[in-house]
Amino acid sequence: MTWLVWRQYRAQAAIASALLAALAAVVLADGFHIASRWHSVLAGCAGNSGCLEQAPTLVNGVMSDLPYFTLVVPVVLGMLWGAPLVASELEARTSDFAWTQSVTRTRWLAVKAGWLLLAAVVWGGAVSALFTWWSGPINAESATAFTPGQFDTQGIVPIGYAVFAMSLGIAVGTVARRTLPAIAVVIGGFIALRLVIANLLRPHYMAAVTIYFKVTSTFTPPGQAWVLAQGGISRSGQVVGRGWGDLEPALPAACQQLLPGSPTAKSDASLNSVFSCMQAHGWRGFVTYQPASRYWPFQGIETGLYVLLAAALIAVTFVVVRRRDA
Amino acid sequence: MSTAIETHELSKRYRRASALTECTVTVPEGRVCALIGPNGAGKTTLLRILAGLVRPSAGTASVLDGEPRQDPAFLADIGFLAQEIPLYRSFTAEDHLRIGAHLNPRWDAALARTRLAELRIPLDQRVGTLSGGQRAQVALVLTLAKRPRLLLLDEPFAALDPLARRNFVGALTSAVTDEAGRLTVVLSSHLVADLERVCDHLILLAGSRVRLAGDIDTLLADYRVALKVENVALEELVLSYMGADEKPAGHPLTTIGEES
Repeated sequence: MTWLVWRQYRAQAAIASALLAALAAVVLADGFHIASRWHSVLAGCAGNSGCLEQAPTLVNGVMSDLPYFTLVVPVVLGMLWGAPLVASELEARTSDFAWTQSVTRTRWLAVKAGWLLLAAVVWGGAVSALFTWWSGPINAESATAFTPGQFDTQGIVPIGYAVFAMSLGIAVGTVARRTLPAIAVVIGGFIALRLVIANLLRPHYMAAVTIYFKVTSTFTPPGQAWVLAQGGISRSGQVVGRGWGDLEPALPAACQQLLPGSPTAKSDASLNSVFSCMQAHGWRGFVTYQPASRYWPFQGIETGLYVLLAAALIAVTFVVVRRRDA
Repeated sequence: MSTAIETHELSKRYRRASALTECTVTVPEGRVCALIGPNGAGKTTLLRILAGLVRPSAGTASVLDGEPRQDPAFLADIGFLAQEIPLYRSFTAEDHLRIGAHLNPRWDAALARTRLAELRIPLDQRVGTLSGGQRAQVALVLTLAKRPRLLLLDEPFAALDPLARRNFVGALTSAVTDEAGRLTVVLSSHLVADLERVCDHLILLAGSRVRLAGDIDTLLADYRVALKVENVALEELVLSYMGADEKPAGHPLTTIGEES
């Protein structure tokens, strides 16, 4: 069986390897460039922590979109390898040949799907490893590895995405019996599920931490934390996000008068007097966030979620392939 | 003599129509059975049920003393060749030989290579670029090299020119002789002439039902007695039953008899 899979996919595997090598060359070249810039920034700012905040962004232009390859690779694998796995055999009727050799359909599918899922892990993992390394200096400078966009393109989650997209292609191709509709479902399904999970589920993998502090002071969550919400909260519980436009109408009249630019404000008015006034009226500042220490637990939960969905899809595929008329 | 195939009230319904209705037939081991009927009579459905590719809606099928099933031993005993000659078009004949060797425990590599050499079929050419006849020959060789105990061939002559048909029938006859009574063959066609020379058993399907089944010599003898004639061709027998949609099986149309 393994030889059959190798014979069927060797040309595509060669092309995919060549593309991966080309991508690796680009990412490595750019990654070393970024790393050397970061080291010179660090050297120039030795012993001066304020200096780092003034440092120029390490990456810009088209290269800053490069990590999104880690999201494209799973979809492409699911489209080109997953969707045709069963569907193309049914379309070309080669299933009649394959399923009347002395090998059960179960074993046929287990070997074929097994190798392709392994390929998804290898290619998804390789691309993710490249961009995790590439993002190292950027993570260090801007502490954003946990935020949406960066979280999705680094670590182990891209492997979960690749395994899921591959399984989605295999399952839909099997049920639909046609490759083209399966390809469409892989694209649509992957994007839709990613949106739902990233926006609705991920913030709640663990109960977020909320810190309240005096409005006259500030608080920044330490490390690469993921800030979900921040702003001010009044004594009566009214929450106002960041931004004066939202805050101004919510303020007590006494404090509004102190706002710079208002007709009643003193000429030497500053925001500090507004904060002091808010403090006096019982306002507090708050930050709701996922602490940096939860980065890897979150990576594990999200990867596990996608792998679980993939397992369900593969289970459906086995049932359909074993039971349905060919 | 033991039975290779025994079906009882075998039926297959699809959403719109019945493909096979209450099919009860027996084929003894070692026979070469012609499965005859017009297009859409249910021949393909019956063969695919026997090969384990399609599950019946009702009734039972016993093939080589067991239900068609997902079991390596059963699959090794079955040689199935579908009408569409399903081969991987971008693979060479050599690739297919290797697949066959990897996937079948009783694979007869010498037989396969000898046959393909005799037929002068290039092994290193993509099978998609071979002629339809050559492709059918490759597929038949692959099916025979499995060393099956039951060979199920769906319209094997459809893609073949007259010379290729002769080669094909020759290959089939020698395979049956070589196995000395252990190999049973069922091959379908809508043309009686194709099958007359090789077959000793007959199943006639029309309108998804069995119209006639049994040993060809016995059927012909009975028919001669019924018509009180000296000589009758298999084709006449078949035609008389094929048209008998409204009449119960066993009563030949008299018009056919009058013609002869």
